[in-house]
Amino acid sequence: MAHFVEQIIFGLTVGSVYALIALGYTMVYGVMKLINFAHGELFALGAFVGYIFLVTLNWGGLLGPALAIGCVAIIVCVATALAGHALERVAYRPLRHSDRLAAVVSALGASIFLQNVIMVVWGAQYRAFNASLLPTIVWRVAGQSVPLIRVFVFLTAVVTMAGLYLFINRTRFGLAIRAAAIDQGAAKLMGVDVRKVIAVVFLIGPALGGLAGLLVGIYYGQINFNMGQMYGLKAFTAAVIGGIGNIGGAMIGGLLLGLLETLGDAYISGAWKDALAFVALILILVFRPTGILPERVAEKL
Amino acid sequence: MGKFFFQVTFLAMAVLVASAISMTSPSITSSWAASTIKVGVMGPTTGSWASEGQDMVKVIEILADQINAKGGLRGDKVEVVVGDDGGTPKSATLAAQRLLTLGVVAVVGTYGSSVTEATQDIYDEAGVPQIATGSTSIRLSEKGLKKFFRTCPRDDEQGRVLAGKVKELGFSRPAIVHDNTSYAKGLADEARAIFKSQGISEVYYDAINPGDRDFAVALSKIQAQNPDIIVFTGYYPEAAMILRQKREKGWNVPVIGGDATNNRTLVEIAGRAAAAGYYFVSPPSLGDMKTPEAVEFLKVYQAKHNSLPSSVWAVLAGDAFQVIAEAIGNVGADSTKIATYLHNDLKDFKGLSGSISFDEKGDRIGEVYRLYQVDEQGDFSLRE
Amino acid sequence: MSLARHPLAQSQKSQRLDHQRHDFRFLQIAGVGLFLALPFIFASLGLTSAPYILDLLSMIGLYALLALSLNVILGMAGLFHMGHAAFFAVGAYVTANLNLTYGWSIMATLPVAAVASGFMALLVAFPVIHLRGDYLLIVTIGIVEIVKIALTNDIFGWTGGPNGLIGVSRPVIFGYRVVKPHDFFYLIWLMVGISTLLFHWLENSRFGRALKYIKEDTVAAEGMGVNTTAYKLMAFVIGAAWAGMAGTIFASKMRAISPESFTFGESVIMFTIVILGGSGHQKGVILGAFLVMGLPELFRQFQDTRLLVYGAALVAMMIFRPQGLWPPKPRLYRLPAPYDQKYPGEEKLKDGDRSC
Repeated sequence: MAHFVEQIIFGLTVGSVYALIALGYTMVYGVMKLINFAHGELFALGAFVGYIFLVTLNWGGLLGPALAIGCVAIIVCVATALAGHALERVAYRPLRHSDRLAAVVSALGASIFLQNVIMVVWGAQYRAFNASLLPTIVWRVAGQSVPLIRVFVFLTAVVTMAGLYLFINRTRFGLAIRAAAIDQGAAKLMGVDVRKVIAVVFLIGPALGGLAGLLVGIYYGQINFNMGQMYGLKAFTAAVIGGIGNIGGAMIGGLLLGLLETLGDAYISGAWKDALAFVALILILVFRPTGILPERVAEKL
Repeated sequence: MGKFFFQVTFLAMAVLVASAISMTSPSITSSWAASTIKVGVMGPTTGSWASEGQDMVKVIEILADQINAKGGLRGDKVEVVVGDDGGTPKSATLAAQRLLTLGVVAVVGTYGSSVTEATQDIYDEAGVPQIATGSTSIRLSEKGLKKFFRTCPRDDEQGRVLAGKVKELGFSRPAIVHDNTSYAKGLADEARAIFKSQGISEVYYDAINPGDRDFAVALSKIQAQNPDIIVFTGYYPEAAMILRQKREKGWNVPVIGGDATNNRTLVEIAGRAAAAGYYFVSPPSLGDMKTPEAVEFLKVYQAKHNSLPSSVWAVLAGDAFQVIAEAIGNVGADSTKIATYLHNDLKDFKGLSGSISFDEKGDRIGEVYRLYQVDEQGDFSLRE
Repeated sequence: MSLARHPLAQSQKSQRLDHQRHDFRFLQIAGVGLFLALPFIFASLGLTSAPYILDLLSMIGLYALLALSLNVILGMAGLFHMGHAAFFAVGAYVTANLNLTYGWSIMATLPVAAVASGFMALLVAFPVIHLRGDYLLIVTIGIVEIVKIALTNDIFGWTGGPNGLIGVSRPVIFGYRVVKPHDFFYLIWLMVGISTLLFHWLENSRFGRALKYIKEDTVAAEGMGVNTTAYKLMAFVIGAAWAGMAGTIFASKMRAISPESFTFGESVIMFTIVILGGSGHQKGVILGAFLVMGLPELFRQFQDTRLLVYGAALVAMMIFRPQGLWPPKPRLYRLPAPYDQKYPGEEKLKDGDRSC
């Protein structure tokens, strides 16, 4: 049982990173009905932008860990938001009125492009973050080891998600986003600036993905140019499990996927754990065809 | 519409074929460089293993420049032709065919075993010698191919050394972890078989996923079996994560790894404190190449690229290139003669990684593995 | 889409079109003939790069075959399927196993590979076929990932784990051993040709029309009495069976197969070929195969940045032609203006039999 509690803690940290990335998929999907396959690459870009400041320029040593991480987090969010915005302008906006699959292929192309940009700029080898940026403190809670840094990752993700949830559900602009997600045409008639909504969604989503990349870099200490592939696919899966298009769903889906993976790893087999996660995905969709919390959008016929 | 697009298509196909011909046809590309000897380098310069492939090319280009600065081989310049195999078998077959059409006399490469395997027949049918540099799978040299060589050792050799060192160090309850790649699983199975023959049975045997970053669960499971050493046969990024997360758990169990963890980035990722005490077996790492050739070479490399090659495999590629150059210098740029020379006449060639000779299977002769341990400063120190 | 035009205008225009069509058809035949003569042209020019180009063309042909089979599912039935490599893998591994363990000849394994892949498709698609659009997409991605993990973990001891299976024989057709690049060139493009004809026929059959209906409007098709689930499943099974046969050829061409040849990335390549070329249009799909497989080869001179250029080229081509490079023409249905006049193909329409 004690073992079980430990696994839950591991699962929640892994899952909270998935959830942060999944939010980017789900927000873009909610408004534009577009699977942004390049989102994983924006996540990787966030990690590498963080690398510039924390390792190449050694802000951690200059400003102290707390201040450095805070400043770099903001820079990373801004940088990936701008990259996401550029991506939307170049690769998606011209295809907004075309067949949806055309945008999917454009997204795949953009993903290949971005991944290789990162490779050319930063090289193909694994890059190491400062291992000693955060002190290795391990709490002992009821015989369980609870590493501080895992709590840090989990709390950062939860606070960010809570903030986003409030923004979407409690502000006027959040209302506009929700309206555009339900019906762009009707939202336009009601005076919602849909172009602006899309632009903002393409700023927030990538920013969250970039932040997740920074967290992964700080926590695991290693990044490489194709890290976005695996995380992107997992996070997309999480978004679908939760019900793609639904903000709360992405959070639940991410945490659930993280738990499924760690429990599958712990109690069944490490080699098969990813397969188990996908089997779970398929089973969930067989019984709930639009995920756990389906988007509240009438199907377009 | 249809007609227009048919014309466009036809034009596109024609351009494709024509440019493929013009790019690869020796009559065009070599007209301005009539007397060069072409040596192919097949490596993954894109894809998941891109860092290995790019380092291979960097090392070989420096060596080729040095040879050419000294006047080339028998008066002819050496030209290095790079073929990107992308780290996948499919892409490698095309890379191999393209290198052949460019008229290479011998080929260095490649890194992954299954990738090398996909190209063995192609080179063999063309009669061009191939020297693999990171493909350690046993079966590659068990097919009776007369023109296949490798400068890297085989998995069984490494498995033997790895298991031997574990026993020598006095451990008896190993936990074996691999990452389900061809290389790591091969090594893990090899080590497992040797443990068994020595009466040691492992307490744990499972895979982790390459590319994963969180091994906390796997470590908990391993800890529950109470091993006295973890044998991890995979690559350095995952090894570093295991070391780091093991320390985070506050668990002090030694870890030993294979030659794919011989990479300086391991210490950077894991942090010195977590990496200290980590064992691995490997061909001599870069810092221990004390031959004048190696010292001088690494100096040149450092000056040109402002870093050292990140792994030993790129250096083994350099050695493969050097033995080819040696053979050409002695018998001329003839594929068959090169292969015969490498089999019969090349004895104790002074390469960067030590002396090189090949046996009748094309495998490298000699004990190359050493046991290393990461010291408190994060350096790789040789243990005897 | 397919609004009938005014009958008179239609007939005038169609005459002109017919005339153009004849020229066009001649060009096409000449083009195909020239293409098939390439090995001889290369040989007579004494081109040393012939094996490389023929191998490249064979690889393009193989992916054209895969994309044509995916086109049945994605282009004709409009099912978002991004896991085609799973069925490709089943075919390749079935062939390799039958050949290595039981000594079957490659061509004999071809139908078995097709049946096995088709059966597998039926099995996995049955529970999920009702999912709409993007949910089906992620499920098919899940399937290809599961298959890859199963292959890597040596499921049932059939797949050789991460090493894969090695030493698959070459195909032997009527005593002729297919070994050289030009042998495979002809074998693969022959299969592409046959598949194109069969799928063309399929497209214009009752079955193809039903798929088209489902693609345009599933609910309306259902309302008109089309058993959408059965048709969608059929499309899946046919497409998968064809991918299985492509797997047979792949296994015997490469001689060694391992899990890294059947990844999600491979599925993405097939998907891209279909959408980029022109979803639902066979010639477009073949053109797509040329570009998607050929461009990375052309970009070899860029070395490390070749995939960067390739990614940018994909985006640019999609923006330039969102409907695909060579999309299908909207089908024209002629109005039967004079009542007694029959048009070819109409008899079938009146025929009430429900078999497809």
